[in-house]
Amino acid sequence: MTTIATDPPRNGPSPLERSYSRLGMLLIAPTIVVFSAVIVYPLLAAIYLSVFSIYTPTLEGEFVGADNYIEMLTGGVFWSSLLTTLIWTVGTLSLQIVFGVGLALLLHQNIWFRSLARSLVLFPYFLSTVVAVLVWRWLFNDLYGALNHGLMQVGIIDMPLDWLGSMPNAMIGVILVGAWKYFPFVVIAVLARLQTIPENLYEAARIDGAGPIARFWDVTLPQLRSVLTVIILLRAIWDFKEFDLLYLLTGGGPVTSTQTLSLLVYQEAFSLNRMGQAAAYSVGMMLVMLVFMILYIRRTKEES
Amino acid sequence: MKSKMLRPLILNLVTWSLVLLISFPLLWMIVTSLKPQTELFRIPPTWVPETVTFEHYWRLLTETPFLTFFRNSVVLATSTTIFVVGLGTLGAYSLVRFRFRGRETLAMLVLFTYLLPSVVLIIPLYLMMVNLGISNTLFSLILAHTTFALPYALWLLRSFMEGIPDDLENAALVDGASRLGAFKDVIFPQLLPGIISTALFTFILSWNEYLYALVLVNSESVAPLTTGVMTMLISAFNIEWSLLMAASVMMSVPLIVVFAFLQSYLTSGFGAGGVKG
Repeated sequence: MTTIATDPPRNGPSPLERSYSRLGMLLIAPTIVVFSAVIVYPLLAAIYLSVFSIYTPTLEGEFVGADNYIEMLTGGVFWSSLLTTLIWTVGTLSLQIVFGVGLALLLHQNIWFRSLARSLVLFPYFLSTVVAVLVWRWLFNDLYGALNHGLMQVGIIDMPLDWLGSMPNAMIGVILVGAWKYFPFVVIAVLARLQTIPENLYEAARIDGAGPIARFWDVTLPQLRSVLTVIILLRAIWDFKEFDLLYLLTGGGPVTSTQTLSLLVYQEAFSLNRMGQAAAYSVGMMLVMLVFMILYIRRTKEES
Repeated sequence: MKSKMLRPLILNLVTWSLVLLISFPLLWMIVTSLKPQTELFRIPPTWVPETVTFEHYWRLLTETPFLTFFRNSVVLATSTTIFVVGLGTLGAYSLVRFRFRGRETLAMLVLFTYLLPSVVLIIPLYLMMVNLGISNTLFSLILAHTTFALPYALWLLRSFMEGIPDDLENAALVDGASRLGAFKDVIFPQLLPGIISTALFTFILSWNEYLYALVLVNSESVAPLTTGVMTMLISAFNIEWSLLMAASVMMSVPLIVVFAFLQSYLTSGFGAGGVKG
């Protein structure tokens, strides 16, 4: 290699650099066009629609100003739905984290048929929510469901439970299914991180006389801290906006006791036919989520 | 040293019983799909089927529109994947390897949309499809799937692209290659594993999507598996669980195939896309 001069002298962008940046913009242009058409435009349209009152079947409506937002803030539906969303998110997320970290620790050990065990644990995450819901609705079936009979055979309950039709069982049910479906994400992420913890940290702790539990608190957990923050933020965002699982398991019922914000927006737009009000709810929901989103985006920026 | 022998045994027992507990719903799905109708409503249920039958699978393929749904899902997920990964590869190359104004803002916008809830976009998208006269077509669903698949693929490909050392491309440029030439000969082969795993993940996302299909499509001939199979549950007077479980198994077969391919990419793909950022 005899060529050395790759960078021209640094006084302003060279013609080559300028042509590169033009090429760069050309390559991203198709993405930007599609992005604007299917994401940015609908996003702005949602905000625009939220100040109208639109009847879904005819799509006709009129300008109502802030009425939809006043209804949102004073109507009570939004707030009770927000509370339901928070209960669901906190409940399912904590189970996901506890089981996810626990199973990652177990699957990190040298067990028999480790890769088979890992695949079996990860599979629910890749499954369609529709499949997960069908299987669980069959398991939850009050007459012939395996869950009730299994619990009765073990002796935990004496009578079959109505899992999805009454409260608080319905909320417990959706939280359980959500945890089952999404905890593998935590397993994958934590496992990947566990593999990078240097072994000598454990050696040092052992020499200092730390037992397995002390080693977990003093070595493993601090090492997992940053990855756990990211997982919690990301999963909180995803659980908060979850639609399929709740809609298909309970449809928001009984009555509205599992109706999260995503379901409320859908219901308002396509069952109650009030599209403008639904758009206002969706904007409100986005504003709540924005807090988490900004935290996550900030974090990602810091790391890169 | 009895405890030295005992510890691994207990560890294995605990881990494997948890693993089996977690996979029980899926085993139960398979067991149910193989039971004859008469055995299904036995109380208490038979944990291992007494007779094994494939009649539900046969009925699913011959008496229901399952194959139409399946074909629609294949077309939908494949087109979305090709469209999005094609755009995303060029876009990610540009975002990582070129300097231009607004590049950082754009990257953050991608991340923002990656986290956006679908229900915010669904109302305007529905109106858009109705106004364009393309509602109730597979094409409208492909466009709708782009809203979550494109940010996802871009973000994932971006982090794969960042893993390729600059030196390789610079060396090719020094040797006289153009940027696009260097992309074709140097970057693309290096990025290929990343492109494949992004494509597989995108395929899974699109294959499993429900909400857009629910809102944008309402005729059986264009419905994908997710909404199609759910209508089989809702329209039936008495729910035929074994048929539905057979449908669930068949619906998951492509995912098992993709999953087998993904094994080696799992940690890298997920690590890169979801967590490391």
